[in-house]
Amino acid sequence: MIEAQDISVSIGRRQIISGVNFDVRPGELAAIVGPNGSGKTTFLKALSGELPYAGRVTMNGRNLASLKAWDAASQRAVLPQATALSFPFTVREIVGLGLTGGRSGAAEGEQDSLPDRALARVDLQGFAGRFYQELSGGEQQRVQLARVLCQVWMPVLDGQARYLFLDEPVSSLDIKHQLIIMNIAREFARRGGGVVAILHDLNLTAMFADSIHVMHRGRLVAAGAPGDVLNDELIATVFECDLKVGVLPHAGMPFVLPQSAAV
Amino acid sequence: MSFAAIAGMSGARRSEVREGDRSARARLAVFLLAVGLAATVLFSLASGASDASAFQVVCDWLFPSFAARDALSARDAVIIQDIRLPRVIMGVLIGAALAVSGAVLQGLFRNPLADPGLVGVSAGSSLGAVAVIVLGATFLAPLTAVLGSFALPLAAFAGGLATTLVLYRISTRQGRTSVATMLLAGIALGAMALAFTGMLIFIADERQLRDLTFWSLGSLAGATWQKIGAVAPIIVLALAANPFLARGLNALALGEATASHLGVPVQRLKYVAIVAVAAAVGASVAVSGGIGFVGIVVPHSLRLAIGPDNRYLLPASALLGASMLLLADAASRTMVAPAELPIGIVTAAVGAPFFLWVLLRKRGVLEL
Repeated sequence: MIEAQDISVSIGRRQIISGVNFDVRPGELAAIVGPNGSGKTTFLKALSGELPYAGRVTMNGRNLASLKAWDAASQRAVLPQATALSFPFTVREIVGLGLTGGRSGAAEGEQDSLPDRALARVDLQGFAGRFYQELSGGEQQRVQLARVLCQVWMPVLDGQARYLFLDEPVSSLDIKHQLIIMNIAREFARRGGGVVAILHDLNLTAMFADSIHVMHRGRLVAAGAPGDVLNDELIATVFECDLKVGVLPHAGMPFVLPQSAAV
Repeated sequence: MSFAAIAGMSGARRSEVREGDRSARARLAVFLLAVGLAATVLFSLASGASDASAFQVVCDWLFPSFAARDALSARDAVIIQDIRLPRVIMGVLIGAALAVSGAVLQGLFRNPLADPGLVGVSAGSSLGAVAVIVLGATFLAPLTAVLGSFALPLAAFAGGLATTLVLYRISTRQGRTSVATMLLAGIALGAMALAFTGMLIFIADERQLRDLTFWSLGSLAGATWQKIGAVAPIIVLALAANPFLARGLNALALGEATASHLGVPVQRLKYVAIVAVAAAVGASVAVSGGIGFVGIVVPHSLRLAIGPDNRYLLPASALLGASMLLLADAASRTMVAPAELPIGIVTAAVGAPFFLWVLLRKRGVLEL
C-alpha cells in the first residue's frame, strides 16, 4: 500500500500543493481529478520521487525518500503525460526499455516476448517494426503504456503489490481505446496491483475508479467512493461550471452532465 | 501446396525475426567493424613514405632467424616498430575516444548534434595547451621546467577536465543537471576559453604561432611509446566505463524523469559520463590537437545504420572511429609525402561533406 501524509510541494517560492493526504491499497484504482493547474501532476510527481516534497510517503511500508531508483522502479511504473524522444527508436525498442530495471516479474523464458504481448494488450499488434516518431499522438501514448506495462508485468512481485502511476493515460485516445486502457488499469488492480490515475473524464472515472480524490487549488478537497464524492455542489464548486450529477438507473453508477454552455 | 499455405509459411518465418528488433543486425555490424579495424591496422602499418613492408616485419617477428639474413629489414623493423606502430596505436586510441565521446555526449544531451566541441571540453583543453606553448618560457616556466615535455598534454587534459567540472557545477542544482543550462553554459564556457586563447595568440611571437597552428590542426606525427604510456590508461579507463553507461543512456532518450522511473541512477550516470568524456577528450586533444568531425560523423552515421541502441552504438563507434582516424592519418602522411598534411584538415575535408550527404539523404527520418 502507498500512504502519503501531509504532502506539500513548492517550486521556487510558489507552493503548488499543500497538506495532501492520500493512500492507495492493493487492488484499488484511485483516480485523481480536478481542474487544470490544481496540482494533480505535481502530486503524482512527488509520489514518483521526481519532485522534492515535505511530508512522508511510504510504499509497501518503506520510506519513498530512502528508496534507490532501481528499488522504486521494481515497485512502480510511471506513465507521464507526455514523453519526448530524441532518437529514431522503433516501437519494439521503446517498449523494451520498460525492461531496463530487469524486474518485470515474468518468467525467464517469457521476457523476450513481453514487448509483443504488451503491444497486443494496448491494441498495437503489428506496430513493433514502426518508428515511434512516425506514429500518431494516441498511438505513441499507447506505446508508452505498453512500455510501462512491461516494467511491472506482474502486479504482485515477491508477495508485494506493485503500482501503476498514470498521468492522463487516455487524454488523446478515441473512445474505444479509452475503454481498452481503462480496462487494463482495472485488470491490473483486480490482479492485486494498485493504480493511481489522473483523469479528466468524470464519467470514465465514475465507471472505473474505486475511489476518487478531488484536488482544487493545491489541496485535496474530497476523497471517497464515486457515489459519495460526485455530488452537484462539490463538482460545481471545484470545476466552476454548472454540472448535474445523475445516476444511471440500471447500474446505479453516477454520471455527470453539463447543464449549460455558459461558464 | 496452395499459394495461401506458402504465404502463411513465409509469414511464420518472418515473425521469427522480430519486427523492429535491430540487435542482430547491430551485432553483425560490430563484428564487421572489428574485422574492418584489423584490416585497417595492417594497411596502416604497411603504408607510409618509406617502402617498409609490414608483412615482412611480421614475418621477421615470427621467424627471427630468417630475418637476420636481410640487412634492409632491420631498418624496416625500426620504422614499423618505433614510428608506425606507436602512431597506429595512438590513432586507434584517439579515434575510438573521440567517436565514443561524441556518442556518449549525444546520449547524455539527447541531441544528435552534441559533440565534445559543443560543451567546451575541447576549447578548455586547447586553452591549457595554448597557455603552455605561449607562456611556457615566461609565466609558466616553473611548470614546464618540472614537467618537461609532459607539460603540454597535462595542461590540455587539466583544461578539459576543469571546463567540464565548472560546467557541471553551473548546470547542476539540487542534484539535478539541466541539459538546456548545460548546453548553453558549455557554449558560454567554450567562448570564454576561446577568448583567452585568442589573447594568448595575440601576444605570441612568430615561432610560437607556427607551433600553435600545427598543434591546433592536429597530428598523430608525434606519437611515441612514451606518449602512449601517458594517455592510453586514461583513454582505456574512459572507454571501459561505456558498457555500464549504455542501458542508462538508452533510457535517458525518454527524458531524465522517465529514465529515473525505469530504475536508472540518473545523477550517477551523468557524472560518470561527464568525467569519462572529459578524460577521453582531454587526453586526445593533448596529444593530437583538434581533430574534428570524428565525434559527430561516426555515431551519427552508425545510428542511421544500426539504430540508436547504445549497447551496440558505443562499441561500433569505437571501432569505426578508430578505423576512420587511421585512414585519415594514412591519407595525411602519404598524400604529400615526405611532408605531412595535418590530420584535422583531412577529417574535416572528408567528414564535413560526408556529414552533409548523410543529412541530405536521411532528412526525413532525422529529427534534429
